[in-house]
Amino acid sequence: MILMIGFKDITLWIHQMLSGYLNPGWVVASEALLVGLAMILLVVIMAVAMIYMERKVAGFMQLRLGPMRVGLWGSMQAFADVLKLLLKECLTPNGADKLLFSLAPFVVLTVSFLALAPFSFAPGLQLWDLNIGVLYISAVSSIGVIGILMAGWSSNNKYSLLGGMRSGAQIVSYELSAGLSIIAIVIMCGSLSIHDIILSQSDGWWIFKGHLPAMFAFVVFVIASTAELNRAPFDLAEAEQELTAGFHTEYSGMQFAMFFLAEYTNMFIVSMVGTTVFLGGWMPFHIVGFEAFNHLMDYVPSFIWFFGKTFFILFLIMWFRWTFPRMRIDQLLKLEWKYLLPLSIINIVIAAFITIMGWHF
Amino acid sequence: MGVTEDNLNTFPGEVYRDDAGQANFFVTSIDKLANWARSNSLWPLTFGTSCCAIEMMSAASAKYDWSRFGFEVARATPRQADLIIVAGTICTKMAPVLKRLYNQMANPKYVIAMGSCTISGGPFYYYSYSVVKGVDTIIPVDVYIPGCPPRPEALLEGMMALQAKIKKSRAYVIDSPKTKQEE
Amino acid sequence: MSKEELKAYLEVNFPTCKFEDTIDFPVVIVEQGQLLSLLKSLREAPSTDFDLLFCQTAVDYKTRFEVIYHLSSTTFRHDLVVKVLLDDREHPELESIFSIWKAAELFENEIFDLFGIRFLNHPNLRRIILGDEWQGYPLRKDYTDANILIP
Repeated sequence: MILMIGFKDITLWIHQMLSGYLNPGWVVASEALLVGLAMILLVVIMAVAMIYMERKVAGFMQLRLGPMRVGLWGSMQAFADVLKLLLKECLTPNGADKLLFSLAPFVVLTVSFLALAPFSFAPGLQLWDLNIGVLYISAVSSIGVIGILMAGWSSNNKYSLLGGMRSGAQIVSYELSAGLSIIAIVIMCGSLSIHDIILSQSDGWWIFKGHLPAMFAFVVFVIASTAELNRAPFDLAEAEQELTAGFHTEYSGMQFAMFFLAEYTNMFIVSMVGTTVFLGGWMPFHIVGFEAFNHLMDYVPSFIWFFGKTFFILFLIMWFRWTFPRMRIDQLLKLEWKYLLPLSIINIVIAAFITIMGWHF
Repeated sequence: MGVTEDNLNTFPGEVYRDDAGQANFFVTSIDKLANWARSNSLWPLTFGTSCCAIEMMSAASAKYDWSRFGFEVARATPRQADLIIVAGTICTKMAPVLKRLYNQMANPKYVIAMGSCTISGGPFYYYSYSVVKGVDTIIPVDVYIPGCPPRPEALLEGMMALQAKIKKSRAYVIDSPKTKQEE
Repeated sequence: MSKEELKAYLEVNFPTCKFEDTIDFPVVIVEQGQLLSLLKSLREAPSTDFDLLFCQTAVDYKTRFEVIYHLSSTTFRHDLVVKVLLDDREHPELESIFSIWKAAELFENEIFDLFGIRFLNHPNLRRIILGDEWQGYPLRKDYTDANILIP
């Protein structure tokens, strides 16, 4: 079933309404403003949902209930947390480099927001369909390392510096594997643009179509992305027992909330990339040949499919946190450089071979 | 019997009230919102010295579970923690460390003295040469939880008492400037 | 070796020591001058092979100090307790056994910190628990300060 009103109709209607009132320059500006507000709203809603989800998932994994008292079943817990962080005193340590110290959370947060641009949440609901979508996301998320290094350096605290350096090394290493695992699918699809990748999955998701290399690339992608996010089991740089809080030790109040928000936004972005490239974006789950089943799957709206898959990968990432013990920094880097990277390269070669021979579905 | 909103009038601790019992309408509402947020999202600092720390860990884990109240995120750095639960004996060697941690915490900060060693020196009050006789000689304490060690349920009640105390306090204390007559 | 065998071994090799009857560990009491040679031979003799010093502590009986060594063997799984009596309360001194067991370094630091018993030939005798500025030796029976409300 096709939705009665598509998102393209809605955006076209808004555009025509604005063009009726304003001249073209102002139309572009006001559309940019609306889109910015929509993105901020999306990030805020997703952050609140993810904070609540993380607490509840953590609780249920450990056989306990998470937040229960704040609102019905603890649903207002995220709001209480964010409001409290807003109202806390913002400290700057004595010998800290004031400009860098204040700038670091903004850099990390801005980079997270920038990477939201090319994603396609439903057919017609895409902010910016550039022809190098996947490469853009990968490139922009790399800039976040600068923010982390700035935070670690400017805190005037040796543990922050160590934490920042370790984080930087870890993120820079794991970007390689993450990028290479996406490239395996890009080879099979033939285009870097997000829209093309999703459309090429209309007869089946890439994780099923490109069998062996795609499944292996998915596994490598999830591992590498968890490491890029500094989440367990790769959270040595901010683990409590190791380095108090790593690069964000000296931050409190709103600045810490920005790091917090940036981490959840990055989690969301990474899940969206995984959904788009491996799990079919907003494409419903079709099995070639079962037409009745396919029609049934089409009844579920596309953005529900998209967010469902995104939440599935988010749940995977949160599941890892409470399952695996933490890795040491040398084990972490050894895993990447000695195991994941060579295997990813071999995977790309196999993917290219399969594409040339036409052995994918 | 516990500390609730009703019997807070007879609460023996310090409760901030307005000057003439009156308040600006806006400030009261913001106070309520700020106090609601602060009391429901108290992040404790992981600070446990001895046996009371075991009870604190037990209160944090699955059976008693203080994360139901919002206390889950226990930050290891004092900059991001709101609450320091002093759980365990404080010796004279540890006292400057505790004072430094308390100073590093960001306002608004709260202190819970858990167990008899932190209230008054506990079983070490008369005979010991090195135990600080009560942690309130070093840092200001909001809630005292007696026990040696207090059960996890007692710790949870102490934390709920702190939540009730925060809800009754003034979030923003604005000192009115002294006029010439008041000097 | 069992308790009787250890006793017999010690009676043969070190006839000047005294024994105590205890329930758990066999106890040997030696003179200050023989301490080092006794412990060294206990460590090195292949029939006893006491390679683990698992505790070294001191007790203040009001007229004398007693320094107590708890030895154990990881190969034969037998234990032994060696005691030394010190009569000097003003400046008690004893040989350090750091040369035999390295673990003695921290034990002897602690005994010096809390009792004031100086150990000769110790690599780094210092206060490790109370902090460098503490005056006095708290675990002595005649110690009192402002913190102790009931002496």
